[in-house]
Amino acid sequence: MNPIVALLIFPGGLFVLTLGLAYEWVDRKLLARAQNRVGPRWFQPLADVFKLLAKEEVIPNDVNPLLFVGLPIAALAGALTAALYAPIFGLAPAYSFEGDLIVTVYLLSLLTLCMGLAGANTFNRFALVGATRTLTQLFSYEAPFMLALLAPAFVAHTWQISTINAYASTHWLIVTQPIGFLVALIGLMGKLELPPFDAPEAETEIVAGAMTEYSGRGLALFRLGKGVEMVVGLTLVAAFYLGGLASPLDFLLKTGALLIAIVIIQALMTRLRIEQTVGLWWRWGALLVLVQLLLYILWEVVTA
Amino acid sequence: MKQEPQKVITKKGERFIIPIGPQHPALKEPGHFEFAVDGETVTDATVRLGYVHRGIEKGVESRNWVQNLYMLERICGICSHTHAMTYCLGVEKLAAVEVPERAQVIRLIVAELERIHSHMLWLGVAAHEAGFDTLFMYTWRDRETVMDLLELLSGNRVNYSANLLGGVKFDISPQQADKIRQGLAFLAERNTHYLDVVMNDMLLLGRIRGVGVMTRDQAEKLGAIGPTARASGVARDVRLDAPYGAYRMFKPKLILETAGDLEARFIVRLREIADSCRLINEALDNLPPGDLTVRMPRRIKEGETISRVEAPRGEAFYFIKSNGSDLPERIKVRTPTICNMGSVLALARGHQLADMPMILVGIDPCFSCNDRMITLRRPDGEAETWSWGQLCEYGIKAYQR
Repeated sequence: MNPIVALLIFPGGLFVLTLGLAYEWVDRKLLARAQNRVGPRWFQPLADVFKLLAKEEVIPNDVNPLLFVGLPIAALAGALTAALYAPIFGLAPAYSFEGDLIVTVYLLSLLTLCMGLAGANTFNRFALVGATRTLTQLFSYEAPFMLALLAPAFVAHTWQISTINAYASTHWLIVTQPIGFLVALIGLMGKLELPPFDAPEAETEIVAGAMTEYSGRGLALFRLGKGVEMVVGLTLVAAFYLGGLASPLDFLLKTGALLIAIVIIQALMTRLRIEQTVGLWWRWGALLVLVQLLLYILWEVVTA
Repeated sequence: MKQEPQKVITKKGERFIIPIGPQHPALKEPGHFEFAVDGETVTDATVRLGYVHRGIEKGVESRNWVQNLYMLERICGICSHTHAMTYCLGVEKLAAVEVPERAQVIRLIVAELERIHSHMLWLGVAAHEAGFDTLFMYTWRDRETVMDLLELLSGNRVNYSANLLGGVKFDISPQQADKIRQGLAFLAERNTHYLDVVMNDMLLLGRIRGVGVMTRDQAEKLGAIGPTARASGVARDVRLDAPYGAYRMFKPKLILETAGDLEARFIVRLREIADSCRLINEALDNLPPGDLTVRMPRRIKEGETISRVEAPRGEAFYFIKSNGSDLPERIKVRTPTICNMGSVLALARGHQLADMPMILVGIDPCFSCNDRMITLRRPDGEAETWSWGQLCEYGIKAYQR
């Protein structure tokens, strides 16, 4: 594929941004319907982004302006770059090499890291507490999430996303590795700071958390970044656990099903306190995935 | 012009303070809290009230007895009937007027509908503070039922204006009574479901069980009242301790929990909704016949009195003094929130920052109810309470400039 097209239009750039907004709308609409609300119209996420882009960005006194402006850009860039290695829309990734899974997972963490730094960059009390929580949460879900994505890689004997995708299309790993699937899906929710893992931006305690000081462009870019991350994350989980992504229809059906699952979890749960989140991930998430990996290794040894 | 850098964390030992309010998404009402935190743990809490001081107590001194009814009803939007009823009870006592039985029972019915309305609103707010928005949306949807019932009776959804000095403004027809019974049946069913959710939802329990525990001793010492106190095992309910109006005929149940944590406060309020439903049904079945009003004198006899009513949040207390004219000499209002506010500050220490909104909301604060005094702060931040004389002096000086 032509690199310029790949970066700007598909699978990076415009296409993922649009898809991110669309998924954000589906998420908001379905959650609203689950809560007996009407929910936004289809163009609401787009309108939000346009409004934010048009607003004046207020840069507070005594922050590093370079970081303040640069972090949202880095965050969005990281998420968009991650999209290049994922089988977006059921098509082959734009770029692929042995080990791109690791790169993709790290690029996905870049968004959270940038948000944490952006919060720590300002002198706002809510932003500081929010940044602490964002980073705390990052350290708690990151290891289990990564382990959950590595389990399919073990089975497929490769670190390349496209190869795992091909392997998964003949093996529904959700059947053999249900724990990994659950941890990956819930880890994705932690990554996106969706309820019940929204302690870092709990509006009833710390306003908007790390994002408190962001108003215009910066906030728009962070939001876009989250949308992109949602698409990439759903793609990875669907490709690895739900029988691979071979066609656009496959993609829409499988990621759509995952999105619905995420919405249901969001609707049913109470926000966890930050120490409850950490406890949940380290006591249960990480442990269960490790047990699953251990079982797999034992199985390999026995059947070898 | 460049401002001086704002210091957030400086020397060791200096406190990191998280301000909540008066403009804050957690509190749609204006109160200002300062929580000193060490990491996520709250080490100290202070409150500053007075943002919605509206001068109502001064205002009532220049309005006549009837006009004050409307004025006092607007102290609070949620328990407006309570305020009007407390005032009416006091003024009727001063005037030595006996309200007809039917009017008393109608007052009780409206008061209990209001209690359901208030508790369901509280349940939604508390769920929202805990981050359980689905429960919030559903309770507020169901609350519409009780608001519709109040609208059916009085024509208003918020300030019902049911009271008159010496009676009530509207009657309850058998058709209306049937509508109320239907609505209550629906609410009672939903209430059972919510009670089930509150007692069995593991994640919600993780946020409310054992949080903000107030022992019985603490509750007595801090002077907590209403459901907050009853959740700590303090048997205190004005409807039973000093029955007024129709509560002499229809007895509410005393609902007590001993745990004293947020879960207990949830359960007490939810059980009170169920009891209110029962009480209203009982009152509707035994609605005595008769007039709705008696004649009230325009001037109230000289004297002073107190009247107490169990508002949804606790005891509402009125001191009314008349000098024999058609204007009151003094009306002093004490609302339940101000009594419970002390418990928030005492309970906050040692809890997580994430629990603060929940502990605060646990007492069901109503800021427009409680703002009656002014604390002034100098720019250096020291709080200082001014006496009436100081305020007058300050006011005169301020306008001389």
